[in-house]
Parts: sequence; structure tokens; C-alpha cells
Amino acid sequence: MVVLESSVAADVTKPKTDNRPARAGWGLVAPALALMVLILLIPIIVAGVLSFTNYSLGNAGFDWIGLKNYERLFTRSTYEKMFVATFTYVVTVVPISVGLGLGAALLVHSLGRIGDIYKTIYFLPVMATLLAMAIAWEFMLHPTIGMVNRTLEMACGTWFEVIPFFAGGCADGFPLWLGDRDYAIWVVCFIGIWQGFGFNMVLFLAGLTSVHRELYHAAEMDGARSGWERFWLVTWPALGPTTVFVVTISCIRAFQVFDTIEAFWPQGGGPNKSAYVMMFAIFEKGIQQNLIGIGSAITMLFLLFVMFLTLIQRWLVERKVHY
Amino acid sequence: MSDLHIASVTKHFGETSVLKGVTLDVKDGEFISLVGPSGCGKSTLLRIIAGLETPTSGTIAIGGAEVTQLRAADRNLSMVFQSYALYPHLTVAENIAVPLQMRQMTALQRLPVLGGILPGARTHKDDIAQAVRHAAEMLEIAALLDRKPGQLSGGQRQRVALGRALVRDPAAFLLDEPLSNLDAKLRVQTRAEIAELHRRLKATFIYVTHDQVEAMTMSDRIAVMMGGEILQCAAPDVIYEDPDDIRVAEFIGSPKINVLPLERNGSALMLFDQVLNSHLSTESPKVMQMGLRPEALQLTQSKPHLTGRVVHLENLGSEVFAQVALDSNGSRVTLRAMPAQRHRLGLGAQVGLSFDLSAAIIFDAGGARLRHVEGAVTCAPEVA
Ligand SMILES: Nc1ncnc2c1ncn2[C@@H]1O[C@H](COP(=O)(O)OP(=O)(O)O)[C@@H](O)[C@H]1O
Ligand SMILES: [Mg+2]
Repeated sequence: MVVLESSVAADVTKPKTDNRPARAGWGLVAPALALMVLILLIPIIVAGVLSFTNYSLGNAGFDWIGLKNYERLFTRSTYEKMFVATFTYVVTVVPISVGLGLGAALLVHSLGRIGDIYKTIYFLPVMATLLAMAIAWEFMLHPTIGMVNRTLEMACGTWFEVIPFFAGGCADGFPLWLGDRDYAIWVVCFIGIWQGFGFNMVLFLAGLTSVHRELYHAAEMDGARSGWERFWLVTWPALGPTTVFVVTISCIRAFQVFDTIEAFWPQGGGPNKSAYVMMFAIFEKGIQQNLIGIGSAITMLFLLFVMFLTLIQRWLVERKVHY
Repeated sequence: MSDLHIASVTKHFGETSVLKGVTLDVKDGEFISLVGPSGCGKSTLLRIIAGLETPTSGTIAIGGAEVTQLRAADRNLSMVFQSYALYPHLTVAENIAVPLQMRQMTALQRLPVLGGILPGARTHKDDIAQAVRHAAEMLEIAALLDRKPGQLSGGQRQRVALGRALVRDPAAFLLDEPLSNLDAKLRVQTRAEIAELHRRLKATFIYVTHDQVEAMTMSDRIAVMMGGEILQCAAPDVIYEDPDDIRVAEFIGSPKINVLPLERNGSALMLFDQVLNSHLSTESPKVMQMGLRPEALQLTQSKPHLTGRVVHLENLGSEVFAQVALDSNGSRVTLRAMPAQRHRLGLGAQVGLSFDLSAAIIFDAGGARLRHVEGAVTCAPEVA
């Protein structure tokens, strides 16, 4: 700003002299600009270029193959599975982890002192490495010796058997979880929610502290009798910007899910590729199989989604929740 | 009828006792100010009246019905908060409409889209828009109805908060330091407007402030609070001229009242080594204090009660306040003089001061008013 203003001032006083202040301005911006181009823009452009080739790392050259990589993405059944798995994950994990995060934040916020304990407990999965936690989950979900199925089996012979799930489980055995293509992606979703909502809770808690206490009193004086009415009148609007941010972050994190799947199924992305999410596909194609071209194409698509989400967020922040 | 009875209300926050038995009756249509230094429990008392805080003991009754156990939303009171507490996401019109929507429309009718098509919602909406417009016109904010609070100045926000309070017809208005966030000029103007509003609405106002000038200029009665108690509750002129307690005398009035030590020697009333009066009953206390308003002191050359040197001058144009360091004990007294007397009040000038004993307000050593001593010294012929 200062640079700009001084350059304007210089232009006014000496109309025909060189624009040295402007050049100084560019000089000052240059390092940041160079770094941004170097580490952000160039890799993206390179990936974009490569997505139109059949390049493999180590090859001397490559051929331009036009849109073939993209065509494959939208025709092959493997990639259809990739999209299904990715969107299932995003559509499940984002609303539930945001909702639970908000609920937990409201409860913890209303607790005062004891709330700190809950805050720590809910935040633990966020701090733990997902890779290590995945191993723990793998043990728990083991079809025969795992804690989950052992616990479920205890329900056999009780009135729980009225529920079809238990009836089926007791007769034919409980699900294989990680080995079952109907359950695999849902287990991944569950772990994603378990791991992510604590993070959302902390963001919402930060948002809640900025709600002015007198607003609740004003709402009460204005006749908002139930907590629900006060929530709609005060809390929810005040959390608008936080919510947009949390949803965007959650979406991007959900699109990026990778380590759980890599830990559970290092070869292949789940039974029958039912948990073959985008990040894993990029990793498998681009790194494991050295098909840089197709890997780059998936990457570009991934960036497109993320960019799209970010644009929606900007739009919402500027139009809807701005006051 | 919406008279208000507050009966021996106490409030403790854990170990600290914030209100120590407050009793106050407010008549219907009265403008009453709760004034006191910050931290004395004014806001706490107001919030207890509003129902936002429950008293530790004591009762609140509005219009003859006890409401101590009733929640704030059911007490039919309006409140203006110090921070205005406007809903930042709603426009001015929507902000003012909230109390009506919450009370007149069902939860279903308030729904954004569906609510509009429910039976009755239309007429409710029109009625509310009408009421909002009326309130906005009364406060001259009709041009701002489509703005958000973030786009308003402090004074405009304050009006919106007032509008939200008066859009429905509450039993009483509770105002918690509504002017403290305004600049000095706007404060004076808004002060007059609130007083005007009170006259127009003829409603009960309970007005909390730490500013004694606001209390003096607006109220029918002032309740002076200190340390969680009401020291005195009376009309502004009574509070000023006839305070029950030295703390009231010292808090009300600007510049502050002058306090001088008095002594009883036998039946003689002594100020420093001077006999002021010699007809005192020997039952009166030995040590007393005398309060003298700055306007009760006069410059004099013959037989002054007090002598001293001018150490500070404040010229307000229409009047001059001079601080005089007394020769007797070095303490300072403030004197109000007319501009015509300025030439006698140069810095460092030696001056003599006199006063009429009937204007003196006498307190005991603990600060309680001693009316019988005043009676004795003013009735009896003066000797000094
Ligand atoms: N919720 C609370 N918890 C603990 N102490 C409080 C609470 N509210 C007010 N107090 C204390 O009560 C005293 C009076 O507060 P308040 O009524 O706000 O004073 P005032 O409005 O006269 O400045 C203060 O000392 C304050 O610290
Ligand atoms: Mg206060």
C-alpha cells in the first residue's frame, strides 16, 4: 500500500519522470512472487501438461495423446468406482462430521470447566496419527478375533435378534468389515468421521467464543423461550462464517482421504475397489505403476474439485454470511 | 398497571455478595435512575428485575403479580443493553421486528418460505411491518430500515436498540447504561430524546447509569446505589439538597461537595478554631463533618470563615470554579464564582470565604446525616 501511494504521489508531482517507485514496488514483491510461481504454479502447470501425455518417469521422451487420459477417466469402470467411492466418502463424512462437530461444540461450550476434559478427549483422534490408529481399527474390526464382532456376538440369543442385522449376523456370521465390499467404504467413512469431528468441534468452539453473551440475553428478552429459538436467532447466524470454513476444510480433507485406505489395503483400494478413492488412485497410478500421464489427469480433476469448493466458499463468505 | 416492587433482593456470586438487600418501589409511568459507581451492582439488579439472573433471596413483583420465578421472556419487559446487542445478520427492520415475531407468530409461521403460506401469517406480517414502521418513525430511523447493524454509527445503533425495545408495549423499559458508548455531544442530545420518549410513552423506565448528570437530568427519582445497597431513593433535587448519607452527597454533584471537619466543644460547634454556633445539645457527637456545595461558599473580605490561596481555576464561561487550599489545614475546597468575580481569583491570590450555616449539610463521623444538629444550629441565633 505504502509503495503504491508513494508512486501515485510521485506521478502527480513529476509527471514525466521515470517510474522508479513502481519498479521498487515490483522489486519488493519479486521474492514472494517468484516463490509462489516456483513452488505453486509451475508444478500445477507441469502436471497439467503431463496429463495430455503418456509420460513415465525414467523414459527419455513421451507422446502427446490429447484427451485420451481424460477419456479413460470417464469410461473405464475402475475410475467409475473411484468416483463412486470418493463421492460416497465426501457426501457421508462432511455433513456428519460437521454436524457432530457443531453438536459437540455446543455441548462442550455449555459445560464450562468439565467441558475441557471432553474437548481433550474428542480432540485425541485428531492428534493421533491416522496410520497408527488404522492399525488399531484393523485389530478391532478383525472378522473373528476383533473386538467389534466379539461384542456383536454377545447379543446373540437375546431380544436383540429381533433386529434383522443381528438375526442375520447370528445365523451366518457378522460382516467381514474390511473384507466386505458392502461395508468397506462405510468403515472408512466411520473412521473419517471419528477422526475428523474433533477438529471441526475445535473450530466451532472458537467460533462460539466470539458470540456476544448479551445477544442471548437480548434474545431471551425478545421472547425466544427455547434453546432452539435462541440457537436459530443468535448462534447459527453468528457461526455462519465458521460453518462455511469448516465445511470447506472438511470437504477438502475428505477429498484427500488416503492414509486409512493405504493402511487397510496397501494393494488395491479395498475389496473389489470399493474404497478406491481419488488420492489412492493418484498414488497407485502415478507412483506405484509409474503412469504419470493418467496420474496427472486425476490430479487435475482433483484440483478442479478443490478449486470449485474454494470458489463456492469465497462466494458464500462474500454474499451470504457477510455482515 | 405496571408498578414494580423489589423486596429485599440479595444476590451472591459464590462467596461475593453483590446485592445486600435491595428494596425499591417503582410507580407506574415513573422514570427511575439507578446510579452509582461502577461495580456497585446496578446491572446485576437490573438483570434480576429483567429475569436474566435469579436473586439469591427476595422477590420481584410487577403490577401486583409476583414474577420472581418467571423467566425473562414471560415478564413482558424490554431491555436496552450497553452493547446494544443487535442481531448482526438481520437488517434494522428485522431487528426491530424480532420481539413481535417471537411473541405473535408460531414457530411454523416464522419459517422462511413455508411460514409465508400458512393461514394468518400474512396479516401478522403486515401488522408487524406496520408496527416496525411506526417505531422507526418515532425514532427517526425510517431511512435506515434496510441496513445491517454493521453499517450504522453508534448513535444509530442505539436508536435501533431503543426501537426494538419500544416496538411492543412492555410493562417497563430497562436501560443499562445506554449512552455510555456515545460521544459527549450525542450523549447530551440522546439524553433529552430518551426523556422526551418517556413523557410521550408514559411508560415505566428503569435507567441504569454511573453518570450522575444523566440521572439528575432525566429522572423522576434517583436511587443512589453503593456497595450493593440503595443509600437513598428520592427526587433529584432532594438527593442534591438533602442527602441522607455523605456518600450520596459526594457522589451527586459536580464538582464534588466540600467536606470540612467539625468538632463539638461543650455546646460550641467548632470549625478549625472558630466557634460557628454555641447552642449545641451536649448529646450531639464530638466529631462531625460538614458538607458545603461549591455554590454555598462566597468570596468575602470581612470576617471570613475560611481563608486560603487559589491553587487552580476552571473557567467554564458562565461560571468559574476555583480550588482554594485552606490555610487552616491545607485541604482544598472548591468554590463556584461568577465570571464578574474572576479578577479576585488570580492563581495564588489570598481569598476569604464565608458561608451560610443553613446551607451546610452535617454528617456524623461515619457519614450519616445529622438533621437534628442542623436544626439546632440554624434555629438558634448565630454568634460567630
Ligand atoms: N456472573 C457473575 N459472576 C461473578 N461476579 C459477577 C457476575 N456478574 C457481576 N459480578 C460482580 O458483581 C459486581 C457488580 O457487577 P455489576 O452489577 O455489573 O456492576 P455495575 O453494573 O454497577 O457496574 C461486580 O463486582 C462484578 O464483578
Ligand atoms: Mg453495569
